[in-house]
Amino acid sequence: MRIGNKALTVGKLSLLVVLLLVMLAAFGCIGIRSSPEGGSGGAIADGTLFLCPALKQAGGFGCSAPVVEGALVAVDVSDGSRLWEAALEGEMSSGGGFGCSASTVPVAIYGSPVVVGELVYVGGYNGKIYAINASSGVLRWVYPRQGSLQPIVGGMVAALDSLYFGCADGGVYALDAETGDWLWEFATGGKIWATPTINGETLYIGSFDHNLYAIDAVTGQLEWEFETGGAIGSTPLVYNDTVYIGSFDRSFYALDAADGSLQWEFEAEKWFWTRAVAYNGTVYVGCFDGNVYALDAESGEEITRFELGSPVYSWPVLVDSRIIVATEEGEIYVIDTADNQAELLADLEETVYAPLCASEGIIYIYSQGQNLYAINAESGARLWSLPIN
Amino acid sequence: MNFWDIIAIQPMTNILIVLTDFLFNNFGLAIILLTLVVNGALLPLTLKQTRASKAMQDLQPKMTELQKKYAKDKQKLAQEQMRLYKESGINPAGCLLPLLIQMPIWIALFQSIMRVLAVIPENLVGLSPYLYSWPSVYSALPLNNHFLWLNLASGDMFLALLVGGTTWVQQKMVMAPTVDPAQKTQSSLMLWMMPILFAFLTLSFPSGLALYWITSNLFRIGAQYFIGGWGGLVKTAPKKPTGRDKKYKERIAEVEKPAQETDIVVPGSAQEEGLSDEESGGKRPDRGGGYPKSIRAVKRQPRRGGSHRRKRG
Repeated sequence: MRIGNKALTVGKLSLLVVLLLVMLAAFGCIGIRSSPEGGSGGAIADGTLFLCPALKQAGGFGCSAPVVEGALVAVDVSDGSRLWEAALEGEMSSGGGFGCSASTVPVAIYGSPVVVGELVYVGGYNGKIYAINASSGVLRWVYPRQGSLQPIVGGMVAALDSLYFGCADGGVYALDAETGDWLWEFATGGKIWATPTINGETLYIGSFDHNLYAIDAVTGQLEWEFETGGAIGSTPLVYNDTVYIGSFDRSFYALDAADGSLQWEFEAEKWFWTRAVAYNGTVYVGCFDGNVYALDAESGEEITRFELGSPVYSWPVLVDSRIIVATEEGEIYVIDTADNQAELLADLEETVYAPLCASEGIIYIYSQGQNLYAINAESGARLWSLPIN
Repeated sequence: MNFWDIIAIQPMTNILIVLTDFLFNNFGLAIILLTLVVNGALLPLTLKQTRASKAMQDLQPKMTELQKKYAKDKQKLAQEQMRLYKESGINPAGCLLPLLIQMPIWIALFQSIMRVLAVIPENLVGLSPYLYSWPSVYSALPLNNHFLWLNLASGDMFLALLVGGTTWVQQKMVMAPTVDPAQKTQSSLMLWMMPILFAFLTLSFPSGLALYWITSNLFRIGAQYFIGGWGGLVKTAPKKPTGRDKKYKERIAEVEKPAQETDIVVPGSAQEEGLSDEESGGKRPDRGGGYPKSIRAVKRQPRRGGSHRRKRG
């Protein structure tokens, strides 16, 4: 074995350490993104589907800067043609670190748009709420007008002429839906990534502080709160005066909608992230453990479970009496509530995180592969697909 | 998950989360503690590597001497260098092997910190498959990213400077003094290149990683101080060597001891054939001239077992 002296000097050894650490640094970036991609579900109104596509990542050393900014896209659901696209501009950035500099902050959108009358609302990871004209794509107002909030990850709900959303600063905000004026704010003890639910005049929203809050939607006053064993990232379902919510503690809870008292608790193997769907006295909820659980809405007893083999992140939808569920791996299953049998409807072979939406027997699915699919809920036939990036 | 994830990333990720839960949901303290624990577990390897590096540094003057002597015969130079290593009891791989063993563990720690930070939704979702079914793991997530004034998920200039500073100190401590201008330039380049590179990396990555780097650097500075004092950092007498250091130094001293001393054994067949040192070198088939006296002479070691000890007088 011939080993030269130079190769054994401290300097060379140091060089080796540097190279290995550089490799280590680069290796550390694999599979771990440094900037948000987003990608929302769709919202349908008057034959138009509104969607915010995921940002395309450029990748790179130590950073992965998006090459496109966020946008709201309007699509004609009849043929999948693009009607218009509204760019959602961020604010000027001071630049990134090593090898990363950005002139604008990309606007990743996770929460599905909300359509009320003439306006479409979207909340961005850049901490801004945008109200955009549904016909023209022209920006009506933005909140806050100056500066920005912490990232907005969850979606919004619109009711009582107001717009409600949670923010990563732990606040629940209510805005005037018409003008974007601030109405009230409720502070929680942790980040909020969940989408709220409204029932009557009560707003329900979960926080990373482990609590589910019931808030008076008019005044912003707390009605009750319920503490779970983990952070809450899922959206509550209100069904038959009961609030159903899953938590990071692997439990799915049923609470009395009036006072927040616990009715029952069901424990799975991993987190709950999606919103549940209820039909005919049964609650169906997807879990990160790859199962969809069918639970008795009254007692919490497990009726059956559907082993789909891949985590369920996206919200399921109810089409007539059939529940459509998408797994992370892009398999679309249909659960017939009549006999609780599940069958594969379609396989997109692309990652699906975004909530599903449905209209007139057609399911619309946006994949992280940046494609929008229209699939017949009955036959599983692919009606059209549209690349959106 | 692949094999690497299962054996390295997953355990470290869960330990990091449990530590955070145990340390009052303080992720910064958990990073520091786990880094210390991992470095502590690797301490024997670190010490071995540091000692081997130091021993090689101590041998450097002789190496330079050999380089000058065999400047035109690379093959011979390599042979003589290997012979010197062998006689000095130094394994050249002793520097490299512990480092290579430690690397996967550092990489696992590095990746686990990145993964557990889970600042954006995609990363939090991606963390789920790595979690064990331990209750504290599920109740602790997502972790609080704030530590002191820091947001552990974003870069921090002060920490970048600290990373650069501690890297420089560590480098300076192990840097061997040299008179060779080429080596001096190389050493100087490395002394400044590494801290600057690390500082830039720190700015680009979440400051949770900077905490890991700073803690690791301080730990290694401590280990190096334990082995050889402040080294090249200050021009003072080194700290009193440990038993193992003494052993290395004795070996090196032995090869450097002049041949005229008593109780000398010359390697090879020179003494057995009744030849002088110069004759021995001259009669070598390759006519390389043999070792300089100071290198060639090896003092016979008294054996520790005692059974073969030769009585004097």
